Amino acid sequence: MFKTFLSLRYLRARKTNWIGVAGIFVAVAALILILSIMAGFLAESRKHLRGNLADLVITPADGRIEHGKEPSRDLERLLALVEEDPRVAGATPQLVWYGLVMPEFAASAMERPMQDAITLVELVGIDHEREAKVTSFGESLSKDFAVKFPSLGRPDDIADPFKLPRNYRPEGRPKPPMIVGEQLGHVWQLRKGDEVPVMTATIDRETRVVNEEPSKRSFVVAGTFRSGENEMDFQRAYFDRRDLADYLGLSEGPTPRDFSSVLVRLHDYARDKDAVRTELYEKLHEAGFLHDPESAYREITTWEDRRQNLLRAIENERALMGIMLSLVLVVAGFTVFALLSMMVIEKRRDIGILSALGATPRGVMALFLLIGLWQALLGAALGAGAGIWAAIRIDAIEQWLSRTFGFQIFNRDVYFFDHIPSVIEPLGVSLIVGGAVILTLVFAAVPAWRAARLNPVDALRYE
Amino acid sequence: MADTFEANPVRAPYGAAQEVADSVALAARGIERSYSIGGRSIGVLHGVDLELRRGERLALMGASGAGKTTLLNILGLLDRPTAGSVWIEGESAWELELVERARLRNRRIGFVFQFYHLLAELDALENVLLPALIGLSRAEYTRRRKELRGNAREMLERFGLAERLTHRPGQMSGGEQQRVAIARALILDPPILIADEPTGNLDRGTGEKVLELLLDEQGRRGTSLLLVTHDERLAQRCQRVVHIEDGRVR
Repeated sequence: MFKTFLSLRYLRARKTNWIGVAGIFVAVAALILILSIMAGFLAESRKHLRGNLADLVITPADGRIEHGKEPSRDLERLLALVEEDPRVAGATPQLVWYGLVMPEFAASAMERPMQDAITLVELVGIDHEREAKVTSFGESLSKDFAVKFPSLGRPDDIADPFKLPRNYRPEGRPKPPMIVGEQLGHVWQLRKGDEVPVMTATIDRETRVVNEEPSKRSFVVAGTFRSGENEMDFQRAYFDRRDLADYLGLSEGPTPRDFSSVLVRLHDYARDKDAVRTELYEKLHEAGFLHDPESAYREITTWEDRRQNLLRAIENERALMGIMLSLVLVVAGFTVFALLSMMVIEKRRDIGILSALGATPRGVMALFLLIGLWQALLGAALGAGAGIWAAIRIDAIEQWLSRTFGFQIFNRDVYFFDHIPSVIEPLGVSLIVGGAVILTLVFAAVPAWRAARLNPVDALRYE
Repeated sequence: MADTFEANPVRAPYGAAQEVADSVALAARGIERSYSIGGRSIGVLHGVDLELRRGERLALMGASGAGKTTLLNILGLLDRPTAGSVWIEGESAWELELVERARLRNRRIGFVFQFYHLLAELDALENVLLPALIGLSRAEYTRRRKELRGNAREMLERFGLAERLTHRPGQMSGGEQQRVAIARALILDPPILIADEPTGNLDRGTGEKVLELLLDEQGRRGTSLLLVTHDERLAQRCQRVVHIEDGRVR
């Protein structure tokens, strides 16, 4: 009974106790704020990283090399097999190759490399109608321009993006169309209707040797797209799949290699990804499309597999931030330890008096633990409130700070997004608050235990 | 009038002499206490026997260093004797569990110290109520709260501290503080009162008033009082005086 009463009285009476409360407050608020921002980064990144990727990507291995057997290349049947699964929302083939987009003045850049200007471009051949149902390709054609690139045009007709642009006046036979990433278009100052050469190396299908001559063909820019992910917007160009297969010489022969993967979209990715992946592999393996006996995971991947480096990096960063900021909490714990130790020394006589009046060592220990507990609860509660508030208002806070101190704290050009994202995770917040309280109690336990062991006779010895 | 006894005969406070046991509030048997300093054992008390009868005022006298305070700490259940036993109402206190002993201290013994020993963070009323706060369960305290607060207030008013109820020790004089301490010692109405030089830190006039108040209250309640002092005039106010010299009762 006296413990609650007296601990609150001691807490109030000693101004220094507020230092302990303040330390826990700052640590908890900082932890919640930073971890919420990191969680926001992760969520936002996932959204953007998925972008024009699909839920599942089926990439048949080249059976001729690995298993001595040509895998089946019947695309219509493959698509039918995939789409008959009720959990699949849609499937679309893609033909992927790598090449260089070389406008006229790129030659000088080749001689004297400008930083990052010349980069290998992913040449992606798609069936745009199917593509729009499976990936966010359709949205990437109508998305607002990033502020930096307002001058570039989108395709004239989003429903038929590969239609030749209206302003295109071909000399002779019209060139096939392509849609380039917004940033790629910006770097080379491309405009709708420009004819741009694309270079690549091709492979002899019989001998598997790279052809002597580089392959070059001009395409006309039908427009740009913006997926929101920097890498994709800088290093990808879309073609009509037949145009690309034709250019690469992959559409001829008894078994045309006119697709390299099939992208699949699921109705409920989070729920079904693993089950569908396994079942699809078995079905397609039986039908002769997939061959890898090792695991289904090489021939059927999820978009997360493809982006796992980035996702892991962010998750890692979050864990590191958590660990580093937990050290602030440890420092706050030490503050409580120091304050309570001082108080135990200062209150020696009081401890003796309490013992003489009938308090047990356990009661004395509880008294000092409670002082630590109040500090922890008060600091953690205020810290949680402040941390959550700051996490919700972080964008406004950052803008105010930037305005007041005159420099940009969060550089919006560096990231995929133009605001500071934050996601408040109730579980994370409770863990931080609970951890802060427990840690403080652990630190408070040492002085409290010392107080309990104090000999009342020594404590009462006359001053 | 002071009757001085040479020593008290050793008598068991239980069993055959039930009559005696009932009349004895506190008994000490063969108390020894030695400290080991630098590996050497130094004896302070060498077999002390003492009896405090119900309602009796007993003065314990002796020079500084004679072992008064050590004996007091042992009788007050604050310091464990090297040998011997302390009997409080028929229970051998040093053989009890720690919690039980704390309970005895809380309910059976009231302490008045030379230096008052009030808690600086509590006001007068709260200081008086502290033993109740320590010893009673939350439910019991809540149930008896009104009664206890009434008693505390009434006692302080009787002690002339009606204006001081919400004052902290720092805002009170020594005499006032000691009166609060006496009220604190009596709040749970313990059968035994141990006062260690209660006037030792007060000027003569104030000391006398405080002593008067203490003896008054003790007489009224029939509490047994063990008064430690080296002031002859104080001892004369007691029914019995026991001298302690070189760790022995004379």
